[in-house]
Amino acid sequence: MRARLPDREGVITRGGVRVAFEVFGQGEPGLLLVPASPITHARSWKGIVPALARRFAVVTTDGRGTGRSDRPHQPECYAPGEVTADLLAVLDAAGVDQAVLVAHCHAVPWALRLAADHPERAAGVVAIAPGIGVAPPHSYAVEAERRWADPVDAPADWNMRNRHFWRQDGGYREWIEFFFGQQLPEPHSTKQYEDTVGWALDTEPEAMIAEREGRAAPTGSEAEALCGRVRCPVRVLHGSDDRCQPVARGRRMAGLTGGHLVVLDGAGHLPQSRDPVKVTRLITTFADTITGASMHATTWTRGPCRPRRALYLSSPIGLGHARRDVALAGELKRLRPELEIDWLAQHPVSAVLDAEGEHIHPASQWLASESAHVASEASGHDLHCFQALRRMDEILVANFMVFQEVIEEGGYDLVIGDEAWDVDYYWHENPELKRGQNVWLTDFVGYLPMPDGGEREAFLTADYNAEMIEHIDRYPWIRDRAIFVGNDDDIVPDTFGGNLPAIRDWTTRHFSYSGYITGFTPPEPGQVAALRAELGYRDDELVCVVAVGGSGVGQALIDKVVTAYPLAKKTAPELRMIVVTGPRIDPAAFPPRAGLEMHGYVHRLYQHLCVCDLAIVQGGLTTAMELTAAKRPFLYFPLGHHFEQNFHVRHRLDRYGAGQCMNYATTDPDLIAAKITELAGKPVSYRDVETDGAARAARLIAELI
Amino acid sequence: MRARYPDCEGIVVRDGVRIRYERCGQGRPAILLLPAWSLVHSRQWKMQVPYLARHFTVVCFDGRGSGGSDRPADASAYSDAEFALDALAVMDAAGIGSAVLVSVSRGALWALRLCAEHPHRVLGAVFIAPSALLMPPLAERRVQRFDEVIDDPVGWQTYNAHYWKTHYPEFVTFFAGRMFTEPHSTKQIEDVTGWGLETDGETLAAADGGLEFSNATATRRLAAPLACPVLVMHGTQDAVRSYAEGEALADCTGGALVTLAGSGHFPHARDPVRVNMLIKQFADRFRR
Repeated sequence: MRARLPDREGVITRGGVRVAFEVFGQGEPGLLLVPASPITHARSWKGIVPALARRFAVVTTDGRGTGRSDRPHQPECYAPGEVTADLLAVLDAAGVDQAVLVAHCHAVPWALRLAADHPERAAGVVAIAPGIGVAPPHSYAVEAERRWADPVDAPADWNMRNRHFWRQDGGYREWIEFFFGQQLPEPHSTKQYEDTVGWALDTEPEAMIAEREGRAAPTGSEAEALCGRVRCPVRVLHGSDDRCQPVARGRRMAGLTGGHLVVLDGAGHLPQSRDPVKVTRLITTFADTITGASMHATTWTRGPCRPRRALYLSSPIGLGHARRDVALAGELKRLRPELEIDWLAQHPVSAVLDAEGEHIHPASQWLASESAHVASEASGHDLHCFQALRRMDEILVANFMVFQEVIEEGGYDLVIGDEAWDVDYYWHENPELKRGQNVWLTDFVGYLPMPDGGEREAFLTADYNAEMIEHIDRYPWIRDRAIFVGNDDDIVPDTFGGNLPAIRDWTTRHFSYSGYITGFTPPEPGQVAALRAELGYRDDELVCVVAVGGSGVGQALIDKVVTAYPLAKKTAPELRMIVVTGPRIDPAAFPPRAGLEMHGYVHRLYQHLCVCDLAIVQGGLTTAMELTAAKRPFLYFPLGHHFEQNFHVRHRLDRYGAGQCMNYATTDPDLIAAKITELAGKPVSYRDVETDGAARAARLIAELI
Repeated sequence: MRARYPDCEGIVVRDGVRIRYERCGQGRPAILLLPAWSLVHSRQWKMQVPYLARHFTVVCFDGRGSGGSDRPADASAYSDAEFALDALAVMDAAGIGSAVLVSVSRGALWALRLCAEHPHRVLGAVFIAPSALLMPPLAERRVQRFDEVIDDPVGWQTYNAHYWKTHYPEFVTFFAGRMFTEPHSTKQIEDVTGWGLETDGETLAAADGGLEFSNATATRRLAAPLACPVLVMHGTQDAVRSYAEGEALADCTGGALVTLAGSGHFPHARDPVRVNMLIKQFADRFRR
């Protein structure tokens, strides 16, 4: 799912060629993002558009030859004059009089030409990895360039940049895979690599060849003259390890335009993909310097006058964390009554916080929905949550930018992130942005591959784990306190993969254990009857609660269980089944069945779980542990390909001796009906779940302030 | 020892009155730090100059009646028109065509006049704790009777021409205390007191008399939406000029307002880091 959809889409047509554009947000100045088409298109800006669009009118275009634009095969269609005219037409169609032009690689000369010929339309130019011939290219590219039109036999490396090779079966793909392998020298760039290769394959070799042969990029004195004609402010961003455009080009271009060069040390050719936070901030500060727009009315409170404040982020995928975080916040306020807590939260977590009267920061409205993304990634009772998390990259960076603005303006002493992946990841990637004390909470450590993912998934999960381990090792001061919600025995016996350490050993070295946090105290056996009565359940009925958490994934399981309901009801007439679809699935979407009760969001669902005779749930940790703590029998169905539910949660539940794990694919309604009759109301013997987890975690946090 | 010494110092003479100025640094744009009331001189900017001079050309001068400048005895020499012309003469002498003006307190009057009457010399204007006659005085200052003889004056009653002739140091001590309402401001109070004692009661009375040549209507007319960008910052705990004055100036000039919650009348002395960063951020847009 995209982090932000365009407010408007359109197409301009010039000389019969259609060029697509999108418009996001509003605000002065406009920003026109010009990709190095057709090897890439507008989606290459995905990491920076959502944050920029909260401040500026952002216009993106696919450029001729790719994306949703036409793919002419005539080189003359890609002449610089044509592309520049497209950009002007896009600005006109988008209703933007004047824009900061942000261009990448060989799109930079187009932007410079636009700024030089139409100075009234260009407020400034941000050139990323400028591909402009004001300095020599990399030596290894020269020979290939010379032989571009020659027939070549089995070329390798840079020599694959060859028109004949691109026309061979698989030749273009082979070149693209080599090329982007070179352009992302930063470790742990698998996702960016997959993205850029995918966008490059959205075009076709003939369009690529035509563009290359029609590009007519200025070189030498012509390129210098073009730079000299630019009168607007210029900022150049260039990675020190750019293997497409030497950093000397960026340096020279900055000199010729009177611009300002920012060298991104250690970065490659695609910083907008690999370091989106830094690139967004550099574009924002550049645009702000031009307009001074950031000098809006604001309040700065003297340091000594500020109240103690915490910003709490509760992982918004489902409802797993909301209850425990409310409990933890309550304990923290008991220890530090003067502490003000704001929540940066989105639905469905915000539903719990609203009901509990917590204060939700207004910037929460800008957060892109993680739960909607996860739901969009699910198929039936299957959710490959590792890949879903990888594909959530643009949502995470968009939400991090919201968070960072809040933290910079809010004067917070403390950040508490319960699996706030965006904060943890991007503060380690941009450590200079850290503010205040930072607490990291999680209930699992380590990405684990699913067996059918093969070597590739084993490699990817190990690579993500390695990146996290390196983060903690390099910047131990980013997490002031790391709390594992549970105990060391809850951690799987696996390693992080490859040559990486054992997860449990590493976690013990880097975390404090709070014990499990249910967020409530289960009723004593003697209190159950009264609570049942209070909730409207009779003693002589078998109450079966079916719940699928809060993420919006669960329709398939509900469908199967409600099919089992009449079968079970036949053998157990006292059965009463209550289906809780959660806040993101509409209960009305299911056909009504006689005797079956359907609900959406149920506040304090744990009370119902505490007194039920049986529960049927997904493999999410929170609901399963609520049932474990309350010692109720339950069936749980881990989502297919969900490593956390299949490995981490299952390991923990096995340790508690709790629940019966079911395989969704091999379970039919008859089996569910049989299990209902077999287990409902039967006693269980689970290991006790501690009730002081929230207080222990709160003490660990309170020590920091 | 100073954190940074000026690159050049000079004197300009207007109608026989000598005005001492300093210039530091060489970046663009130029920033002109205007004097405040003659109680203090250009050392009031000591927390700004070293930082700003690393980025910009910074010029400041001792207002007439203070520091190394002359101390004319006649009130008419202290009209806001005279201060504005001093500023232009200093800019000329320092080789500055146009500048970002930074003023504090009563310097706002002079900055407004420069903005309105010499717009080509002004890139933008920053007003710190402006005292520009836009709002009535604070309630506790209504006891002030500047020209009346008051027996045993207390508090704001010591803001009095007769008292200053005999008890000038007591007044300076009182006033410096009111400038810094923030706790733990002893050093800032000592600084202001020291600078204040470098001039004398008669001079300060004459300088104050210069205000007679200003009036609220004229100020309001000057402060109509300005052509240049404007930034106003004002402390909520300013006990010399109310925070409402800053709000009013931002409102009528069309400028941005930064509220300094908890700050008093001299935030550039008490909260120099934030003020420095705000000035730099404001001036950065004029780099080219």
